Amino acid sequence: MVSVLRALASVRLTVVGMLLLACGSVLSYGNPEAVSIWVLVVPLAFLALNLSSAIITNPRIHRRKGLLVFHSSLLGIVLLAAIGRLTYLDAHLEIINGATFDAQSLLDLKAGPLHSGRLSDVEFIQGRYTVDYRPGMSRGATRSYLQVPDGEGGWREQVVGDDTPLVVNGYRFYTSFHKGFSPIVVWTPNNGQPEVGTIHMPPYPLFDYRQANRWTPPQGEEIKFWLRLNTGISQDSAWVLDGQRATGVLVVDSGEQRVELQPGETVVLSGGELRYQSLTTWMGYKVFYDPTIHWLFFVSVLGVLGLSYHYWTKVSMNSVAGVNRRSLDEPGQNPTDRSRNGGAFRSAQDVVKL
Amino acid sequence: MNELVSELPWLWAGLVAYAVATVMAVYAVAQPDHDGALVVNKFRPFELPVLGLVAVGVLLLSVALAERWMRIGHGPFVNLFELLVSQLFSLGLIYALVYWRVPVLRPTAAVVLPIIWVLGLWVLMIEPTDSLFPPTYHNNWLWVHIGFGKVFLSFCLVGAGLAGIILLRRIERMKAWFSMMPSDAVLDNFAWRFMVLALIFDSLMLIAGAVWAQDAWGRFWAWDALETSAFLNWLAIALGIHVRFSYRIPRAVGAAVVVAVFVLAFFTYFGTPFFSEAAHKGVV
Ligand code: HEM
Repeated sequence: MVSVLRALASVRLTVVGMLLLACGSVLSYGNPEAVSIWVLVVPLAFLALNLSSAIITNPRIHRRKGLLVFHSSLLGIVLLAAIGRLTYLDAHLEIINGATFDAQSLLDLKAGPLHSGRLSDVEFIQGRYTVDYRPGMSRGATRSYLQVPDGEGGWREQVVGDDTPLVVNGYRFYTSFHKGFSPIVVWTPNNGQPEVGTIHMPPYPLFDYRQANRWTPPQGEEIKFWLRLNTGISQDSAWVLDGQRATGVLVVDSGEQRVELQPGETVVLSGGELRYQSLTTWMGYKVFYDPTIHWLFFVSVLGVLGLSYHYWTKVSMNSVAGVNRRSLDEPGQNPTDRSRNGGAFRSAQDVVKL
Repeated sequence: MNELVSELPWLWAGLVAYAVATVMAVYAVAQPDHDGALVVNKFRPFELPVLGLVAVGVLLLSVALAERWMRIGHGPFVNLFELLVSQLFSLGLIYALVYWRVPVLRPTAAVVLPIIWVLGLWVLMIEPTDSLFPPTYHNNWLWVHIGFGKVFLSFCLVGAGLAGIILLRRIERMKAWFSMMPSDAVLDNFAWRFMVLALIFDSLMLIAGAVWAQDAWGRFWAWDALETSAFLNWLAIALGIHVRFSYRIPRAVGAAVVVAVFVLAFFTYFGTPFFSEAAHKGVV
């Protein structure tokens, strides 16, 4: 058993594992989605096995506290990364002003097989948002106003945006640059009850020129919508995207008919009546969950402290006693005795200062 | 003076100071090391002037950076021009500190300063265009990330300076240039010591970068081009360290590995962010 561990602990295998990991990283370079995760998992698992064996059997690691902490933390990072991959969640969300978060509405959802967070307990209500733009359409600060439970049965306002996410039950909601407008419409079918819905327009101002969408009512012809917005958008000067200040004319195109509706106006179409009630906005979020992130931070900082400690002890031990004396004695091509080097290599103290 | 380029005179003055220091350092090592029968340390008389010139260069560059900062309202973190000027400043500063504290390494100036000057030449070819500060850059971790990164690159540079001497000594004409320096064995030891220091700061840079990325893009690591390049850099140092103690590699090969790690770091800093279209790219 011990001999197997010793064989597995060979530093030569470490070199092989590191080379494999380098190959895996090169393959994943800039395009991890298109490459099998195994190009990274196999070398990492191999290195983890190699390193565990080395930590157990190699006194050069386990007798030196700093190195032991450092290498153990490397192992910890690989383990945490593995746990993270099994339990993570990654998704997008597009939520309308006034809507309550609904876990079912997540888009592009990807989650580890062991993901088991309390997503359905997450509660917040999306409010309005503003985004600053500087001249040249360069995006500045985003402020998204949310209502979150205050813990006493009521709600309180929280502003999120850019690098300040909403964090609930470990789920982190980051505003994304995907955000836009949604006209609220009421569709009343002939002989039916009115239904309220929203027409989700493409992200704005990214698709400023293409604010269009289409919808086919249950009984009726396809309706093409086009939203002509007035937001104060400007290429040359600073402006603020604020849904509350924006206005929009909804152009409705169905069959032979094409009408322009102001909020509050109605049009009769084949199969029913469409009322453009008002204009609202939607906000896009990236949703992220990984229970390991704080541990990863802690373990990696600990590892660096271990390596620094190792370095410190090694330097203070070697500088005077080891390296210099050894190297001064060593027959190099450029002898370093004081007479020849003219005193440049003054004393071991020069080195200790390092 | 055109207000748009008010930092340029300071930048040029700083580069001139670095250039004079570079010429002086190379001149110093290229002299013969015999004065009659007496062997002299030919670098000694130049030690202080070189340090002084680098210090003056650092000071002038810091004025250039401050001037630009006040003019455009944010730090030198976004476009290639800013990155180069800020690295010229920090490489000069950290190298000057190492030079001052570790006298035995001083003749490495003849290798290190010309490398710094590559950045100097590059920056002269670039338009000092104003940059726009992305919203995700208003984050304290950005400072931590960049600060550690600067120390990392500087220690890599010192390592490359030492390794450069080991390699230059193989060239017949330059054999005597660094006669005042210790043997290859000592230089090799020093170089790898700096690489371990570089690894420590590289690790800190990666950690701070991951925290920032989590805040800025909602993920701490995504194997984007810059992250992958930085990780390969970290791995290359670890690989070098392990190869060095588990195989008896010739010193010149070890030195070439140190130089290769520096080149990779150089590419990671000044190449990847501007080639890749990733979110990490200078302007988001
Ligand atoms: C993958 C990332 C790794 C990194 C970044 C890393 C880094 C380091 C560093 C910086 C040192 C100190 C060297 C010195 O003080 O000169 C070291 C030493 C050592 N490492 Fe690793 N290591 C890694 C993985 C491994 C693995 C997988 C093994 C498994 C065998 C291993 C075995 C050792 C041993 C035995 C030493 C002590 C060498 C000595 O006697 O000084 N390392 N490592």
